[in-house]
Amino acid sequence: MRQLTEQETKTLFEKLANYTGRSLNNLITTSEDPNDRYVFRLHGNRVYYMRMSLANLSTAIPRTNLLSLGTCIGKFTKSGQFRMHITALDVIAPHARYKVWIKPNGEMPFMYGGNIVRAHLQKFSEDLPEHAGVVVLNSNDTPLGFGISARSSQEARKLDPTAVIVFRQGDIGEYLREEDTLFTT
Amino acid sequence: MAAKPGSAKPKASGSKDSNKSKPISSASKVSKKGGKRPPPQEVKAKARTESTLLKKTKKREYTEAELDLPKLNAITPVGVVKPKGKKKGKVFVDDDEGMATILAMVNAEKEGQIESKLQRARQLEEIREAKKKETEARQAKKKNKLEEAKDSIRQKRKRKGDSSQDKADTAAAKPNESSAKSKGKRKSVSFA
Repeated sequence: MRQLTEQETKTLFEKLANYTGRSLNNLITTSEDPNDRYVFRLHGNRVYYMRMSLANLSTAIPRTNLLSLGTCIGKFTKSGQFRMHITALDVIAPHARYKVWIKPNGEMPFMYGGNIVRAHLQKFSEDLPEHAGVVVLNSNDTPLGFGISARSSQEARKLDPTAVIVFRQGDIGEYLREEDTLFTT
Repeated sequence: MAAKPGSAKPKASGSKDSNKSKPISSASKVSKKGGKRPPPQEVKAKARTESTLLKKTKKREYTEAELDLPKLNAITPVGVVKPKGKKKGKVFVDDDEGMATILAMVNAEKEGQIESKLQRARQLEEIREAKKKETEARQAKKKNKLEEAKDSIRQKRKRKGDSSQDKADTAAAKPNESSAKSKGKRKSVSFA
């Protein structure tokens, strides 16, 4: 396990900033203890988010024996891009820039891996541009996943009910669907 | 005949050789007499592993620039310039400030992108609205024109009616129509 290089940090933050606003700063600054801050660590090709003290403790464990620690944010692909995992939802949801709420009848289709159609949309953030990262919530404000907006909010209002509004990127159904591969390295 | 003497000659020569061999042996004796000279020493060719041969004569070393190699043949590709005296390996970012600066940069970039996206969306929306208004205006104009045409036709008809006869005539026109209808009926049964 090691720290991230400059390039890796930039790639990671760019991806996270797709979904979050300015409050992303809180990710690296929030901590109750002034001596203990949150850090990102790379293990294999996966990036984990954890407290500094935990990262320091983990140095006692041989690299081959260490499976995971902290919260997995995602992984770096072989081409150097960053792919966010659904496990990062808890990290980004509180800081989300754009949100989309879906109706109860749209929850199941979304959690089975489908995109969000206009008919399942309850409401969405104002001024939502096209191809922006959004966090998907149900009507009780529980985050269900994240995706990329297919249309801007102005266009979305005029569309027919079957038109896709949000392309799915991750949903909590993956915890079951991807159970075998989600936590293996 | 000619062959015979030829064949006989070698024999004779062979006998002569045997005679001559003696002087040769004597000559060898002579050489032995001259043995006072130092014995001939074998001159060996120097082995390749000889230390003197192994010593490299200093050859001129050419720099890469002098060789005038094509760029692709060079060891380091173009554009990859290895900085000298710099530490090898990755540069990690683990301090708070470093991360914060990168984050600020990324944030600013993203916000710029989003802003431009929103602006573009607004512009497009304006254009769309303008187009919609234009088409609506055009349609209204068309409708108006049609209405005018209809009105004019109606008025023409009225004027025709006014110019030919009074209102009574127009009233009389109705019975005419009915008569026309009856005519039609009559036509239908005309063959009977």
